[in-house]
Amino acid sequence: MERIFAKPFIGALEGHVDAVECMARQPGTLDMVASGSWDGGLIVHNIIKKSQQMRIDVAHKGKITGITFADSNRLLSCGVDRNVKLWDFRDVDENGAGPSEPRKPLSVFPGKTAFNSIDHHRSDPLFATASNIVQVWDETKSAPISNLTFPTSSETISAVRFNLSESSVLASIGSDRTFTLYDIRTGKAERRVIMQMRSNSLSWSPTFPTSVLLASEDHNLYTFDIRSLTHPTQIYKAHVSAVMSCDWSPTGTHFVSGGWDRTVRIWKEGQGTAPEVYHTKRMQRVMSTLFTADARFVLSGSDDGNLRIWKAKAHEKLGIIDSRERAALEYRERLKEKWKMDAQVSKVSRSRHIPKPVHKAAQLKTTMLEAHRVKEERRRKHTRAGENKPKAERKKVVITEQT
Amino acid sequence: MVRQVQSMKPRKSQVKDQKAYNARGYEKRQSLKAKKAAGGRKNTDVYEYQPEKERRSKVKLLLEKDEMLGARGHDSEDEDDDEDGGRGKGRKGKGKPRMLGEDEDDMEIGEDEDEEIDSDGAFDESDEERFAGFSFASQKKKPIAKANKPFKTPATRGVRFEVDLNEDEEEDVSVDQTDDAFDEEDRQEDSDEEEEEEEGEPDEFVDVLDILDGRGEPMSEDERESSAKPSQSFAEEDRDAEDDVLEGPSRRDDTDEDQDEDEDEDSEEELEERAVAISASEDEEEDEISKIDSLQTFITSLDAGQKRKLPEDDGAHSTLEARPPKRRLLQERTETGVENEFATHFGATKLNLDDLLTPLASTSSANLDSLKKSAKVLASTSSKHKTLSAPLPTRTQERLDREAAYEQTKEEVDKWNATMKRIKEAEHLSFPLQAPTAENTSSLQLAAKFKPTTELESAVDKLMKAANLRGEADIAQTETLKMNHLTVEEVAARRAELAKTRELMFRAEAKAKRVAKIKSKTYRRLKKKEKAKLADKLGEDVDVDELDEDGRLKMEVERARERATLKHKNTGKWAKAMQHRGELDADQRRDIAEMLDRGEKLRRRIRGEGSGSESEDDDEDSEEDEETIKARAFDELAALRRDDDGADPEASKSKSVFEMKFMKDAMARDRQRANQIADDFVKEMGGRIPHEDDDEEGDDAPDSAEPHGAQIERVGGRVTYRPGALPHLTDWIAFVPIFPSDTSSVTLKSTDFPGDPTSPVSLISSDRPLPTPVDDEAPANPWLVPRGGDAAAAPTKQRKHEVAVGKHSATAEKSKNKLRKKKQSLEEERARAKEDAEVAISMADVLTLPSGSGSASHAGPSSTAPPAKGKKSAKAKSKAPEAVQDDSDDSSDDSDANSELEEQEKVVDSKLKGKSRAVKAFEQRDIVARAFAGDNVVQQFAEAKRLEMQEDAPKEVDTTLPGWGSWGGAGLKKSAPKPQFVKKVAGVDPKTRADYNKAHVIISEKRDKKAAKYMVKDLPFPYTSKAQFERNMDTPLGTEWNTRVGFQRGTLPRVVTKPGTIISPLEKLL
Repeated sequence: MERIFAKPFIGALEGHVDAVECMARQPGTLDMVASGSWDGGLIVHNIIKKSQQMRIDVAHKGKITGITFADSNRLLSCGVDRNVKLWDFRDVDENGAGPSEPRKPLSVFPGKTAFNSIDHHRSDPLFATASNIVQVWDETKSAPISNLTFPTSSETISAVRFNLSESSVLASIGSDRTFTLYDIRTGKAERRVIMQMRSNSLSWSPTFPTSVLLASEDHNLYTFDIRSLTHPTQIYKAHVSAVMSCDWSPTGTHFVSGGWDRTVRIWKEGQGTAPEVYHTKRMQRVMSTLFTADARFVLSGSDDGNLRIWKAKAHEKLGIIDSRERAALEYRERLKEKWKMDAQVSKVSRSRHIPKPVHKAAQLKTTMLEAHRVKEERRRKHTRAGENKPKAERKKVVITEQT
Repeated sequence: MVRQVQSMKPRKSQVKDQKAYNARGYEKRQSLKAKKAAGGRKNTDVYEYQPEKERRSKVKLLLEKDEMLGARGHDSEDEDDDEDGGRGKGRKGKGKPRMLGEDEDDMEIGEDEDEEIDSDGAFDESDEERFAGFSFASQKKKPIAKANKPFKTPATRGVRFEVDLNEDEEEDVSVDQTDDAFDEEDRQEDSDEEEEEEEGEPDEFVDVLDILDGRGEPMSEDERESSAKPSQSFAEEDRDAEDDVLEGPSRRDDTDEDQDEDEDEDSEEELEERAVAISASEDEEEDEISKIDSLQTFITSLDAGQKRKLPEDDGAHSTLEARPPKRRLLQERTETGVENEFATHFGATKLNLDDLLTPLASTSSANLDSLKKSAKVLASTSSKHKTLSAPLPTRTQERLDREAAYEQTKEEVDKWNATMKRIKEAEHLSFPLQAPTAENTSSLQLAAKFKPTTELESAVDKLMKAANLRGEADIAQTETLKMNHLTVEEVAARRAELAKTRELMFRAEAKAKRVAKIKSKTYRRLKKKEKAKLADKLGEDVDVDELDEDGRLKMEVERARERATLKHKNTGKWAKAMQHRGELDADQRRDIAEMLDRGEKLRRRIRGEGSGSESEDDDEDSEEDEETIKARAFDELAALRRDDDGADPEASKSKSVFEMKFMKDAMARDRQRANQIADDFVKEMGGRIPHEDDDEEGDDAPDSAEPHGAQIERVGGRVTYRPGALPHLTDWIAFVPIFPSDTSSVTLKSTDFPGDPTSPVSLISSDRPLPTPVDDEAPANPWLVPRGGDAAAAPTKQRKHEVAVGKHSATAEKSKNKLRKKKQSLEEERARAKEDAEVAISMADVLTLPSGSGSASHAGPSSTAPPAKGKKSAKAKSKAPEAVQDDSDDSSDDSDANSELEEQEKVVDSKLKGKSRAVKAFEQRDIVARAFAGDNVVQQFAEAKRLEMQEDAPKEVDTTLPGWGSWGGAGLKKSAPKPQFVKKVAGVDPKTRADYNKAHVIISEKRDKKAAKYMVKDLPFPYTSKAQFERNMDTPLGTEWNTRVGFQRGTLPRVVTKPGTIISPLEKLL
């Protein structure tokens, strides 16, 4: 029943002219979310009021590739114009529209190459940028304090993220299908993993500090344990196109991913299939996704320039729930869980209405995969016994692990 | 080459020292030369070392620097070395002069000797330096070992020398290295290794060096050797001339080789120098001349005859190949050797610490000793040190670093393992996991922070300040001021007082409660009087109170009156109900009348006494009054009793509810209790107990008269035992007839059982066994008669009755009693006989034992029935002693009498018994069979099963409709059913049934299709067994089947988040 009446979509925040490339949530707040778009526009939204805290139409020349909050009232943005800019988003006019004259950044950190990503250290005034190398900067210094790179790499780093709990650990993904691990204490790139396909986004789990999530170009998401990078701990398969972004829920039990297939999917950690799927007619490729700090809502920034707010749990009731109602809800949930092995119950809970193209793509994909599988099987059948062994799906992902 | 560049700095600094040193050294040498015409090489060494010793300290520092610098360029050096080593030494040797020429400092060429020495000295200390060892090893191909045998000081070598060499020439370095290697060989004393060195393969050398380093010998050996050397050396030299190898694998060999090499390399000049040096050393002086001669001859022969020697060497040594290259190298070396006087690098023997110390020996022995001691430590420590391995290529190194760093990070991250595990396994997670540490702000904190903002607050604050109450200090101060007045004792006293008052209050309360419970009117009245008296005594000031009390009294009276009037008028609930019922039957009418009557009576009484008492209460206060009151109370009681007694007969006539048995019993009990209370009261009040019973039945007399022994009452269906008056006989007699008619039979039956607890011994006050009347009277059906209750209860009663008789009545009475009982039992027997006659089958009890009750206690159960006579006699015999045993009080004649009586009884019994015995023919089995007659359960079950199987079995059903699709009419043959109309029902083959061959069960093969929809095919994931799954599914979740808490627990979701609460990622809590 709740399936029928689920209304996951809450609202859209407009303002960007072009695709929303990146989003960042201010740590420690529920409302502040910054988004940067391809046209260089930077907006700080208040998602509770659905208003704009700050709006800069041309923060960077070209697209903004990364945003991160430095502290309670400043944020850093980087762009393809080879600059990192520090903004103060705090002071707002009475009308809430922001100052009439264009804002000036507090400081600009010039770089040599275009930046692809930026992330701020959790506690220290440090931030890391990704260009062709990973650079660690101090907020007070205009030059990077250290360069981290894997010696033989000639890649373009596409994203870099600090670990949330073990905050000196950094991870980056590059265009040459790599995932690299750094530590700013040792100042070294510690390990590199080369995978079958490149990753588009990465996110560290907030409750499992060793776990990192990669959104891969091969339609899958992978979680890795950084202690053993030989194979992923779990593969998440449902997207029918490249996964462009991912973000963990603050609880670490769920995560959201947005894909080139114009869907937003909400996954349960450790459950590799059948995620929740969100889509609308107007939502285009989802370039960035975000969980809110209370794990109740999900934000998606898409190619159409809108920021959309969704419920993390599609049928959740907003507003106050009294204890009896809560008890009833919990009871129902429990019953569903108890009877999930029942064919009909599971069918209801599994079935999703998804857009036709996505459905078709999914069908096509299964067909193709099945064909692959069959072919592989036949090939194996016709080779000498024991010569061609089937390889576990998880083991296929990582090509090599470099030290 | 890199190495050279790097080593430039130290060289320059050394240069000056060396210059000075050289000058001095040269001088000395010259003087020594003059002294000794032909000096052993050893001497030169000694000479050379002497000055060097002084320099060592300076050298050391430089070496350190070198070490520092050297670390980096090592790889390149190695490579260079390798290259050099790979090619012939000849090349190097040739290159040497050129290089020398290239060098900027002429001095250095001159210093060569010194450098060598230096290096030797320095090496000793810098053994640990991997640089030195490594490079040497690689360059060992140039085996330009010097023949300075006496100086086997491998321990003392300097890197500095190397450095210089580097600057100057590669060859020098190589020389040093070879020296080094040789020194080490010396230590090792292995010819094989020497050869290896000579071969000059870099890898091998490295290995050897490593081994040597590891095996480095302590100083003692060196010393020993050094002392032995001089003598040896001469011999060795001789041998050298012949052949190195011949001497065997001892140290000498090494030295020999060294010598050989040196000789090969060194020019004549050098030899001379050495000879000079040797001459300097005291030991060798005598032999010097001969030595030098031999040496020279050897040297001359060397050039020509080296090749000849080599094979010999090979033959002697294990490795044949080693020699030739070495030899060749040596030759080359000699050719290229620096002819300079100072180029003593050829003479760089193994410099021992002792060599350095020997010159000092002459100066002061004490100093030397101390020095030696310190040097020993140095040597031993240095020898233990290993050479460090070469730094890896940067890429490799970095990779290793990365790996290490990764390990570190892993380790760091692993610290989260426990946390993550806990989170993963948690049944329930409530976010945020790490609750912000809530600061519980104390009131003090708040107060400290507080600042008045509003007017009111500021006003209050001002006032407080004025009163010195604002702030902790103020309050404390005031408190202390207050408390200052009190001493500790005072405080304790206060507390004690408080406690006491509380205790008193509590007691008073308890007492008041107790008193309030007393319902006695008299007591109240007395109390009132006392109070009034007290009040009088106290004075007239309590008037008002008294008035009040009077008023209260009046009110009470009023109330009592009201109650009385209400209760016994038609105003009661019941009465009203009765009225409303309209026409009443006779009983009801009588009841109402009775009620009204009673009410009237009461009213009359209350009026009569009430008026009187009131007047009395008001007027009289005297003592006699109490008496009168008491008297009146007694009268009242008596009247009441009389009333009750009078009422009873009346009531018995009526057939109202009160007339029913249980009501009667209850009333009787009530009455008795009331009587008792009254008696108690009377006793308490000291009055005479009125014996109203006297005039009534005579049976009651003993009751009241004898208040001793156990009082046993039986008012209703229950017997109660109480201490007190003895039960009256009549009472017991009275309830005897209450027993059902078959009581006796039951009794008999019970007594028939052997070991029955109802035997006389178990009785409380029994003195004699019960005379058992007849024992053949079994219950009609042993399965129908409940044996337990009646059997236990009835005989006790009877026996008690008997006891009463036995104890307290006269023998005559007893006999009378007996007779009566006899009669009774006979009657019963007759009745039973009648019954027997009526019942077709007399149910003789097979289980009963004919030995009877009497023998029960003594004789065990006997399976067969003894003859009646025997039994009788046995019983008679047994009875008498039993009686004696049981009752010590009873006289023997009494028991005798009893036994006699019993015997009589028995006679009667036996008569009756004979009849019943004859009838017993049936067995228990028959009874059972009769009981379950017609119960063919097994057959029925089998039939049911058969039917079930038949029903389920596959069958063919003919669905042909008669008259359709066929002709009708007479004379038609009945055709076989068409196959299309034969419907085959695929059932279950009986043999495939689950209950096939299981006779005792029917397992249905029918499948419930509707239920099947909800069945699972396989066991769902988290469950590991079917039982587990089923159990889980069976456990309901809802509130209807669970407690509230259980429900809440059962339905609590795994992850709980509060809306609007920020969940921050896990943080390290330090």
